[in-house]
Amino acid sequence: MRFHLVRRSEVRLIRKICLYLAGIAVSFIIGGIILSSLGINPLSYYRDMITIGLIGNRYPGKSVEGLLKLFVPLLITSLALALAFKMRFWNIGGEGEFIAGAILAAVVAFKLGDSLPGPVVVLLMCIAASVSAGVIGLVTAHLKVRFNTNETLMTLMINYIMLYVIKYLGETKADWNFFLREDSERPIFAKFPENAIMDGIEIGNFKLLYTVPAAILIAVLVYFYLKSTKQGYEISVVGDSVNTAKYAGMNVYKITVRTIFLSAALIGLAGAFTASASGTISTDITNNVGWTGVIVAWLSKLSVPVIGIVSLLISVLQYGCQAASASYSQIDHNFADLMQGIFLFSILAADFFANFRLVRVHTAKTEPSKASDGGSGKDV
Amino acid sequence: MFEVITLFLFNIVIYSIPLLFATSGEIMVEKSGSLNLGVEGTMAVGAVAGYLIGCRCDSLLAGVLVSFIASALVGSIFCLFTITLQANQNVTGLTITTIGVAVYFFIGNALGPKWPAMRECERLVNSISAIEIPGLSKIPVIGKAFFSHNILVYLAVIIAVVIWLYFGKTTCGLRLRAIGENPGAADALGINIVRYKYLHIMAGSGIMGIGGLYMGLNMGGTFEGSNCWINGYGWIAIALVIFADWSTAKAIFGTFVFGFFNTLRVYNMPLATTFPKTLGWLSGIPAQFFSALPFIVTLIVLIVSSIRSRRHGSSNAPTAIGLNYYREDR
Amino acid sequence: MAAADYAIELRGISKNFGSVAANKNINLNLRRGEILALLGENGSGKTTLMNMLSGIYPPDSGSVFMDGKQVVINSPDDARRLGIGMVHQHFKLVDRFTAADNVWMGKKDSGFLLKKDRNKEIEAIAAEFGFELEPTKIVANMSVSEKQTLEIIKVLCYGAKIIILDEPTAVLTVQETKKLFDVCRKMKESGHSIIIITHKLNEVMEISDRVAVLRKGEYIDTVETDKVTKMKLTELMVGRKIELNIDRPHMEKTKPLLEVRDLCVDSDEGTTAVDNMSFYIRGGEILGVAGIAGSGQKELCEAVAGLRKIKSGKIVHKGRNLVGMNAKRISAAGIAMSFIPEDRLGMGLAPSLSVADNVILKDYSDTKGLMVDRKRARSQAESIVKMLNIATPSIDTPVRRLSGGNVQKVLLGREIKSDPDVLITAYPVRGLDINSSYTIYDIINEQKKKGVGVLFIGEDLDVMMALCDKIMVMCHGRLQGVVHANKVTKEELGLMMTGAVSLVNVKADSPAGIARDSAFTEEEWEEASDMSEGEDK
Repeated sequence: MRFHLVRRSEVRLIRKICLYLAGIAVSFIIGGIILSSLGINPLSYYRDMITIGLIGNRYPGKSVEGLLKLFVPLLITSLALALAFKMRFWNIGGEGEFIAGAILAAVVAFKLGDSLPGPVVVLLMCIAASVSAGVIGLVTAHLKVRFNTNETLMTLMINYIMLYVIKYLGETKADWNFFLREDSERPIFAKFPENAIMDGIEIGNFKLLYTVPAAILIAVLVYFYLKSTKQGYEISVVGDSVNTAKYAGMNVYKITVRTIFLSAALIGLAGAFTASASGTISTDITNNVGWTGVIVAWLSKLSVPVIGIVSLLISVLQYGCQAASASYSQIDHNFADLMQGIFLFSILAADFFANFRLVRVHTAKTEPSKASDGGSGKDV
Repeated sequence: MFEVITLFLFNIVIYSIPLLFATSGEIMVEKSGSLNLGVEGTMAVGAVAGYLIGCRCDSLLAGVLVSFIASALVGSIFCLFTITLQANQNVTGLTITTIGVAVYFFIGNALGPKWPAMRECERLVNSISAIEIPGLSKIPVIGKAFFSHNILVYLAVIIAVVIWLYFGKTTCGLRLRAIGENPGAADALGINIVRYKYLHIMAGSGIMGIGGLYMGLNMGGTFEGSNCWINGYGWIAIALVIFADWSTAKAIFGTFVFGFFNTLRVYNMPLATTFPKTLGWLSGIPAQFFSALPFIVTLIVLIVSSIRSRRHGSSNAPTAIGLNYYREDR
Repeated sequence: MAAADYAIELRGISKNFGSVAANKNINLNLRRGEILALLGENGSGKTTLMNMLSGIYPPDSGSVFMDGKQVVINSPDDARRLGIGMVHQHFKLVDRFTAADNVWMGKKDSGFLLKKDRNKEIEAIAAEFGFELEPTKIVANMSVSEKQTLEIIKVLCYGAKIIILDEPTAVLTVQETKKLFDVCRKMKESGHSIIIITHKLNEVMEISDRVAVLRKGEYIDTVETDKVTKMKLTELMVGRKIELNIDRPHMEKTKPLLEVRDLCVDSDEGTTAVDNMSFYIRGGEILGVAGIAGSGQKELCEAVAGLRKIKSGKIVHKGRNLVGMNAKRISAAGIAMSFIPEDRLGMGLAPSLSVADNVILKDYSDTKGLMVDRKRARSQAESIVKMLNIATPSIDTPVRRLSGGNVQKVLLGREIKSDPDVLITAYPVRGLDINSSYTIYDIINEQKKKGVGVLFIGEDLDVMMALCDKIMVMCHGRLQGVVHANKVTKEELGLMMTGAVSLVNVKADSPAGIARDSAFTEEEWEEASDMSEGEDK
């Protein structure tokens, strides 16, 4: 007996949802097997992970703050990457753009943090970060459209270059290097002046940083930008068919460069938010958000509301793994990375089963049989 | 003075070899029409698996075999998703990198401290000591630099040459290239595309894995909390494929160029002190710049080659690269 | 005739794509050593059926018998083993390989190493079958007919006894077609059985022994070619007695709306695609453009619509030179273009976007503000759907889900929505069945009656001779002449298309004379040039 694949012409939503849920369940089972093999009870681990250490915690507010610190950059970065992916522009440069934004934000913080009032400094940090990261996007988009340079590899290389730039700043003791603490013999990044640190609303023990509402606002804006504006319309046309866009008289060059600028600028902004929220920069400031963002964007099928949910869930996963690693010494936060990958693979597999169906191929001996499940209409 | 030059050249070879493994493997993969962005993760898995088992068994052969097999299995995951399940190749590759590096840390941190380390493995250390090629290694200056290396170095060059011959001189190689160019044409001839792709992508991934093992052995094999041995070499390999124009023969020279940049990072000081007049300026350049240099050069190569190919027509890139093939798509 | 006498016999073959039945319960047989023509309209399921024989798709049900024994074909490899070889309409060749390597890579006994003398070997095999083959020639440098020959050599070399040719003459010139038919007869003599897919009746009559007819996925009948007439075949194919009866409403002559002079345009590869062409379109007339595929039609359309850089020459519309304007301004000036490329959706429509979103593709930016006016989009889409009777579940359905005819209606509907005064339409009935085609002709004629000047780039000469007022023939990017559609014969057009006859600069009173009855006066040209120069500043 042999099987053969047929692409479905239409997929019912309920089928998709069921498959995705099954995919998530399978991921948890695989994770559970890994945990068990290390001698950990998966159920209690998952419980600790999902409750992100809130239970029995004397300062639950701190846990939520920590979670939100992961969530904000991840949400903004995933949204930004989705913008680029919608144009089929493979911006894998989230890491580099994030670092560029953080460095420029730090420059503003150190140079102007003492002389200007708080909100102004933070605003200037955000602008500097967005513009600097945006320029990286702009240049790559220009090269992509003009010369068809491989944008995936280009943005990848920029990731590593930026990583060494921030390492250089963090490891080089010199008179000019205002990024470092002056009172330390060893090179350590200095703390930002008070005015450059992100403020928030205090609710009891819990401090809701302004970055959180800002990130949610950005998500809402991106949603309407894509859905309702002319520029959003242009993005969907260019992403669908460049030839058609040209035929309709759209300036594909301008649209691509503009969108990728925006994408990179948002990631830079996320860098500024993170730097300002933590009050300093570090060589691992990105927390791999450039990579995780790719996974989140793809898991969410580039849909803005879904990105909101998925990035929250992934943040829970990451923070939960950190929190749980306190009580399980055998396992560290890399388990979160592993789980992310497994989740994505499960969803990719679920996609396959949503889009294809297996049909038995009759062999010579069997009677000809009607092999059709009557999938709903393709051509109308 | 000549010693410095010899040592410098010697180290270029050392640094270029993992790239040669990875680039040869990726060329094999890409020739079949698949773009695997998971080189970094594939190498990481090969590195940790091969290293741990190699040390455990105190055998280089075991290490090489295990790294090949482990990475080939990672390659089979790439195949499963992109060929059988028709998933996007970019996303699959990136996820393989995420998972592969996570597995590296996961296993490395869990078993690394408990299992024997390389320095405790006498046989293993002996089997990667230099083998002098009779005659050639006696040539002044370059003899010691090029013909007195451990067995993996020669293996890398042999693999690159064999792959080159395979593509150019065998029917299987011709068929594989046909799949990368026009899978529909190959399929219509009754060539089993799925089998060809699985086998070659797995073999290519396995070769990358040996490159990962080489890096681990070269670095003395300590698992650090946040630094992966592979450290971006996988990405450079992907770029080197373009640099080498999809030819493993050209890759031998391409990786040598990149090995040169890496060697500069380590040997800028000796060079500067040996040749203070001509190369003294090297000492003033920060180490991070040399670390970033391969990436900077790759970026420049990418841009220049794309501008050039725009002007002078296409490169040797397989025509169907990055596209999934489904026979019944109309 | 007993079953064992057939080289191949299909019984009850069915194939569905989603809910669309491409083949329904088809019975077909092929005698040994005959040429069977498989006749049917576009979309009647000929290629699907043959793809099942060659292992591209497995059938949903039904069985295949060869020499009386049942066989199963699940892959191209199965088909090959059984001696079935297919020459696909889109050649399955590796462009970068040499001719010899293209053959070599599929040979079963080619061994592990690439032999040095494989070129000679392949050349010898080709010669055995009576072909001349340059074994080291790269496929990318071959002409269409050379590529086709190579494909035939391939299937012969792999030992195929049953050879399927899918629309082999679509891309060939008259002479090349003749040569191909000679090859077919020769193969038949040497004992091969041949199925040739076509929808051209003349060729059916010329080459085939029997004709099998498919209609809308169903098997109709198989008839002996020498006992049937073209008329009868048409009836079988279309299902009712029809004559090619396309309206050609008569319109009063008006002044030229669009005049093209000395136009030169390059192709993507940098070669000359349109070479010094001059012509004009009047209001209320349809000017057909005939030519072998790839003679510069696409580049001409794109140049006029502002999508391609113009090397030299002028395009004058209502006294304004359009050269140098971008596509948006040209479209605003009243020139609309609909181009149906071979893949149908590659140009002009965004397949994943809804009907409504596709309708506003060209004028979404005309409204004020930052937002897309979706309300307007919906009302326009609804009126187009109603006016052209487009079958779609809703206007929110992605265009890619519509059938070919409806896709083309959406495209045309959008173009005529803007009330253009020049409509360029390229291959508007590509891939459509006759009924849908007629709807499209009606839409175009409707525009003509409104006084629109139509440039109609077509494939089927019969249609063009019935629909168009004048026909302009292109060959290798050069103008071969403009003729009155009701005075010219198909043979004359054929000669012009191959470049054998050129009517340019021939007196206007010749039988199929160049229809040079009016043009801008020299003064008007001066005026137009002045205006455009003024604009440049």
